[in-house]
Amino acid sequence: MSPMAQAAVEHYVGLSKQLNSSEVNADVVTARQRAQTVLLAQGFPTQRDEAWQYTRLVNFVQKRFEIATQRPDSTVDLNALQNFLPPLSPSFEVIKLVFVDGCFHADLSDDLLSLPKGLTIQFTTAQLPDEKRVDSEAFAVLNQALLSDGFTLEVSQNSAIETPVWVLNIQTKSNQLNNLTNQVQVASNAELTLIQQFVTLEGVEACTNVVTHVDIADSARVRQAVLQQQADASFYFHNQFVSQADNSDFNTFYAGMGSVLSRHQNHLLMNGEHIENSQNSACLARQKQVVDSRTDTEHNQEWGASRQLHKYVLADSAVGVFNGMIKVDRLAQKTDGQMDNKNLLLSSAAKMNSKPQLEIYADDVKCSHGSATGQINQDQIFYLQARGIPRNQAIEMITKAFLMEPVETINRSEVKKWVGGLLSHALLTGGYFSGGEA
Amino acid sequence: MLLNIKNLQAEIDEKQILKGLNLEINPGEVHAIMGPNGAGKSTLASVLAGKDNYEVTAGSVAFDGQDLLDLDPEERARKGLFLAFQYPVEIPGVSNKLFMQTAVNAVREEQGLPPLDMFDFDAYAKDKIELLEMRPDLLERSVNVGFSGGEKKRNDIFQMALLQPKLCILDETDSGLDIDALRLVANGINTLRSEERSFIVVTHYQRLLDYIKPDHVHVLYDGKVIKSGGFELVHELEENGYDEIVKQHQQA
Ligand SMILES: Nc1ncnc2c1ncn2[C@@H]1O[C@H](COP(=O)(O)OP(=O)(O)OP(=O)(O)O)[C@@H](O)[C@H]1O
Ligand SMILES: [Mg+2]
Repeated sequence: MSPMAQAAVEHYVGLSKQLNSSEVNADVVTARQRAQTVLLAQGFPTQRDEAWQYTRLVNFVQKRFEIATQRPDSTVDLNALQNFLPPLSPSFEVIKLVFVDGCFHADLSDDLLSLPKGLTIQFTTAQLPDEKRVDSEAFAVLNQALLSDGFTLEVSQNSAIETPVWVLNIQTKSNQLNNLTNQVQVASNAELTLIQQFVTLEGVEACTNVVTHVDIADSARVRQAVLQQQADASFYFHNQFVSQADNSDFNTFYAGMGSVLSRHQNHLLMNGEHIENSQNSACLARQKQVVDSRTDTEHNQEWGASRQLHKYVLADSAVGVFNGMIKVDRLAQKTDGQMDNKNLLLSSAAKMNSKPQLEIYADDVKCSHGSATGQINQDQIFYLQARGIPRNQAIEMITKAFLMEPVETINRSEVKKWVGGLLSHALLTGGYFSGGEA
Repeated sequence: MLLNIKNLQAEIDEKQILKGLNLEINPGEVHAIMGPNGAGKSTLASVLAGKDNYEVTAGSVAFDGQDLLDLDPEERARKGLFLAFQYPVEIPGVSNKLFMQTAVNAVREEQGLPPLDMFDFDAYAKDKIELLEMRPDLLERSVNVGFSGGEKKRNDIFQMALLQPKLCILDETDSGLDIDALRLVANGINTLRSEERSFIVVTHYQRLLDYIKPDHVHVLYDGKVIKSGGFELVHELEENGYDEIVKQHQQA
């Protein structure tokens, strides 16, 4: 590790110790201490680490992000936030939870006393995450070292929660590390729709580091959308550790529309039979942004079906990274796994690094993966122009259509429409087409 | 005159394809262009529509009194030039309907007319759908994606009917059409015929021409028009092929 990275590790271990000095929960103290040890031993990944080859942490390790000391922070301008919120808000009914600078904000959120039957939400670290799964990811280890905020959401057996839960995370201050640890537990035959949105005020240079654990019991159904819209100079790391039991269904969608460096990872264990899931994403990057999205899908039992479609649009000299692994255990016969990654480069300086992989130990399976990267087909542009549509508009139409395909996998129509609208707004107003050549 | 092509020369990848082509078209006329494979028929169509990988090295094209070669492809389309492609392009994710609504509104903007909203457009498109007996679901699908060869061709003629151009260039629209579709497309073309509207119909076969009865027939060979005549030239070609005409041309 470079001296710079070493110093960053020590800085965050210091913050962890500082948190522990005033911690009353002994379990939390132990968990943080354990993570400190792991972090000190493993450090932050370097370019030599294959999983971080294209997602370089040089800029991150130069920073010394702090954690908010006032909790909740009384200097936050609530009026400014009230004005900031409406354009982001879904137009459909939601259960709204708002975090500001990493702290839950009751004043901005819905009344937690009137939640639908079967749904409980808490903000204490009720249950500690599974250590072994966490250790393989540096940012999950960091998350545990700084364990303090986040939500724990439980849905009881047979409860279908109709109204989506919308968790809005707003970062208002620069130089802060917004460290969130979330737990989602959906019991047998229950149903949940969860939306997690990450935004910052304009110009904010902060770092969001999230771990979301999702436990899906047998026959339960979970739909999730994660929207990342942070300002250009912010960082985003999100590790999702998901496990599914028999006959459950998980559908997750990630929209990456911001940050200088962002990395969204699904670690998905299919620990039962007849499990279905669908993991999809639409990512946009321009200038020197690096947008990284990964999935690690383990088929461990028979008759599992996993579907994936990940699409990137890269402008200027942006870098896209996709890494997907489908692992099929020898017990997982009749597995049906499909993973596709398609990328559109709007400039010749943009780069995509794609690595879809299969590792199969069972013999009766149907698995496929594919990856394709290219620029817009000139014949398509000309066809639209030949019907009177200006070249710029033709490029926008084709690009938007390309990006919207994974959005179709969102199964609730109102969520689909809203997410599609946010993505298309980001694409058409975010300066992706100003670079000239296509 | 609606279109006046003088000594047009064009190349692609430094290979000259059009070698001094002349053609004059008056409003209301239907011209057929025939010629062997590789003669440059599609190249002519592409150059007229403004495809940018062709380089015009000499000559001029006046369209409705303006220098056509000076205009962007979209400006040509807005001013009333339409090309039905030999190979219509698939555009995944862009709905045929949104595409055509956008195109119709682009042309209307040029004409100083207000845009049609979704409902106005549906009403406007209805007759044309019936005229060409289009399957209504083709409008909801992505442009040409998963369309059969014949459906793609018919979709282009549908677009032509919607855009009401002044000059319609049809590049082998008849190839790949079944007998019924050919009749529908011919009928579509005949319905669009008017005193102001002109057609250039590129084809290898007599069948479509029997339906639409062109006023003039030209033989394009090696990048030039080597013979022009009336409808009788079609029969001559159908019987004797291109050999005789090419020989005469080479001797001259
Ligand atoms: N990119 C290119 N580089 C070199 N030659 C090309 C290129 N594109 C087309 N050509 C050549 O230009 C010539 C004219 O092609 P064009 O498509 O205009 O012929 P056509 O008359 O339409 O033929 P067909 O009846 O087969 O449709 C052909 O010899 C073709 O091979
Ligand atoms: Mg041709």
